[in-house]
Amino acid sequence: MKEHGRYIKTDRRMTAALLILLLASAIVFLSACGRRDEGITSLDQLDQPHIKIGVATDTTEFSIVEKEFPKAEIVYVKDLMLGFESVAQGKLDAYVGNKLNMELAIKNGLKGVRIMEGSLGEGNVGAVAISPLTEIPDLKEKLNEYLRQIKEDGTIDDIRERWLVKQEMVMPDIPEARDPKYHLTVGTTGLSEPFNCYVNGELAGYDIELAKRFALWLGASIEFKTYDYEGIVAAALGGDVDCIFANLYVTPERQQTIEFSDPTYVVEVGVMVQDTGSDAAVKSGSPNDSREESGSTGFLDSLKESFYKTFIREDRWKLFAEGIVTTLLITLLSIVFGTLVGFAVFMLCRRGNRVANLITRFCIWLIEGMPVVVLLMILYYVVFSQTKLSGVTVSVITFTLIFAAAVINMLKAGVAAVGTGQMEAAYSLGYANNRAFFRIILPQVLPHVMPSYKSQIKSLIKATAVVGYVAVQDLTKMGDIVRSRTYEAFFPLIAVAVFYFVLAGLLIWVVDRIEIRAFHRRRTGGNTREEV
Amino acid sequence: MIELVHLEKRYKNAVPLADVNAVINDGEVISIIGPSGTGKSTLIRCIDLLERPTGGKILLNGEDICAHGYDVTKARRRMGMVFQSFNLFGHLNAIENIMQAQIDILKRPKKEAYETGIELLRRVGLGDKEHNYPDELSGGQKQRVAIARTLAMDPEVIMFDEPTSALDPTMVGEVQSVIRDLANTDKIMLIVTHEMNFARSICNRVFYMDQGGIYEEGTPEQVFEHPQRDRTRRFIRRLRVLELNIDSPYYDFAGAGTEIDRYCMQNDIAPRTKYYIRLAFEELTSHILRPVLDHVPVLITVEHSEQDDKTAFTASYGGERFDPAESGDGFSYKVLQSTVSTLEYHYDPNAEHSNQIKILL
Repeated sequence: MKEHGRYIKTDRRMTAALLILLLASAIVFLSACGRRDEGITSLDQLDQPHIKIGVATDTTEFSIVEKEFPKAEIVYVKDLMLGFESVAQGKLDAYVGNKLNMELAIKNGLKGVRIMEGSLGEGNVGAVAISPLTEIPDLKEKLNEYLRQIKEDGTIDDIRERWLVKQEMVMPDIPEARDPKYHLTVGTTGLSEPFNCYVNGELAGYDIELAKRFALWLGASIEFKTYDYEGIVAAALGGDVDCIFANLYVTPERQQTIEFSDPTYVVEVGVMVQDTGSDAAVKSGSPNDSREESGSTGFLDSLKESFYKTFIREDRWKLFAEGIVTTLLITLLSIVFGTLVGFAVFMLCRRGNRVANLITRFCIWLIEGMPVVVLLMILYYVVFSQTKLSGVTVSVITFTLIFAAAVINMLKAGVAAVGTGQMEAAYSLGYANNRAFFRIILPQVLPHVMPSYKSQIKSLIKATAVVGYVAVQDLTKMGDIVRSRTYEAFFPLIAVAVFYFVLAGLLIWVVDRIEIRAFHRRRTGGNTREEV
Repeated sequence: MIELVHLEKRYKNAVPLADVNAVINDGEVISIIGPSGTGKSTLIRCIDLLERPTGGKILLNGEDICAHGYDVTKARRRMGMVFQSFNLFGHLNAIENIMQAQIDILKRPKKEAYETGIELLRRVGLGDKEHNYPDELSGGQKQRVAIARTLAMDPEVIMFDEPTSALDPTMVGEVQSVIRDLANTDKIMLIVTHEMNFARSICNRVFYMDQGGIYEEGTPEQVFEHPQRDRTRRFIRRLRVLELNIDSPYYDFAGAGTEIDRYCMQNDIAPRTKYYIRLAFEELTSHILRPVLDHVPVLITVEHSEQDDKTAFTASYGGERFDPAESGDGFSYKVLQSTVSTLEYHYDPNAEHSNQIKILL
């Protein structure tokens, strides 16, 4: 019990220390927003050798930057919110991208930036990507025909007006097709306001409305699956979805791998720079801009606002709750199955069967040698692509394998630590092999492996953060979804980190309970023995 | 009764047991002695089937327990083993260590197992340690618990694999006296040990193991007082032997000097004795036996007895009679004779080496 108490205490201390660290870094970031220097007032100033201009990866904006500001340095940014934040902090001198996103970010309270007057013209073209494996005949032709129709009757202008110009963020009620002829599976991200995002916990946006209307016109039932931008094209290529309604930009590279419909949207390119003038408050248009104040009240207020935006507005805590349930489900099932599978395989290999050992060693080598994301993607898009297993199921399979590999290694090390002498003693007393293992060896192995078992659980719950790649909405993904609406770079991230700490702590607590129950007497060495 | 018939154990790069034959009757207590690496432990581990023999038979009361399909577990239940490193079960306390197998294997009720256990613990003098865990016991106490654990299973044969080797010298006595106590039962006991006095006093038969088998056997008196064979004698008298075979006139004498130095260092031979060994070696090889060396190889043997700290130096060579007292370098011979305590020459035309010079330093 004594030992047990110490573990928990160490855990808590660690958690507290890390939290303080996270908060401290958040403060540093936020206070950095207040930094001032000479601002950029005209586009010409950007065409300098020392200027850094951020553009999003997987877009065509870099070619615009190359043409307009040939001397500047291009920095590729993966995450829109982090790109904006970098501009606010002065790490980037400017960000070139979708002007609409910039307007929305500032409307949502992004501070320390402003959008330059004027436009760089039209940039990326968004369109619907069509899976080569779709079972709906002539999907691309039908879609293009539908796009022509709504262009002619003005429907698309109406949709554009509501979502992109007025930004009403209200999803009209579109009925599902009666007696559907087809089933349309649509891939989207839910990360790109106002195209496809979560409003009041439901998918909504320009792309979503388009998709629903198209399904109705086509006479198809509709189903949405959400992916990260990194995994979405792979999902379509693998036949996981029929098409992608995600404001996906048509780039030459993408065109080589997947077919696109006619354009659904054309981006107006804008330039965002750091805001240095005192007129920032007016321009950003945020009523409670507290940037001018300094000190703890300003920080606390902005923290309060972040909390409100992240959890309370539109009941976003429900998204987090959903994510937590999914993460816990995947983690728990993987722990249970992983432990069982690992133990079973270890028992098969224990007697030194050469074939079993060889196969196991190969599998462990394969599993441990691969980044978790790669293993997950291979299982989902290659191995189980034909089986229609859900993302959650494949995630559980993936993490079961990973955890099983860890369990096997743990048991191996534990048994080696107990030593062959114990087995020989059991043999010479007349125990048969398996009996000796369960009665004599295992009770001594378990206390040895418990610490590393617990740390494996902690690693596992963190490792599950990549399941967003296979259309699973776990805690991390929900954090991203919320972040894409609030345009906050850090608060949701820190909130997600705190949730992971709490979940890991919870799981370890449960394992501790089980451990105490299983070994009713804890043998810790030394002369003090305490019975539980 | 145990019969070992052509028992053989081979590893890929060693043959600890080449051909072991023996009959061990009920009630016999046998000490197994011999230099390290001669298969003493392997022998009893084979009998307990912890190692699978690669050839031959082990008959336990007439049943071949090595036979294909014979239930190994059943055979092991009739035997017990006490290990050098005790191998008490670390997660169980003293009494549980003794009870566990009785409950699991002999299906004794818990109460009976406890009573047997506590009685045995008292018998080995640890009646008050029943709740102590192995890591709270001294080495001697651990080994006594291990003996009690083995006895609780009522084995027909008890084997001890160097039971006192891992112990502090102060604890050897307590374990030996417990083992001595058991020697008066009708159980077969096989004791592998390096404690010569213990080996001699406890048993009624001694196996001296060397060269892959039982090299010499007999009563303790026979083996310890009048060993018949060379290696037995060397081992009993704790002789440390250095052999140098000078097989050509171009022999590396400098190298041999180094080897003598190393031998002396390893066996803690006094510098004075070492000086004499080197002197005898040099006088013999570079002067006295010079004429012989050109024709026949000369075998130099140095035997140092740890028991009485005496060193014997022997030079053996074949060929015709060559008495250094009569032929060869007379001066060197006299120098050598005057520095050593005895110097004798024998000639036996029928021996492998017909000439032998024996020097006691």
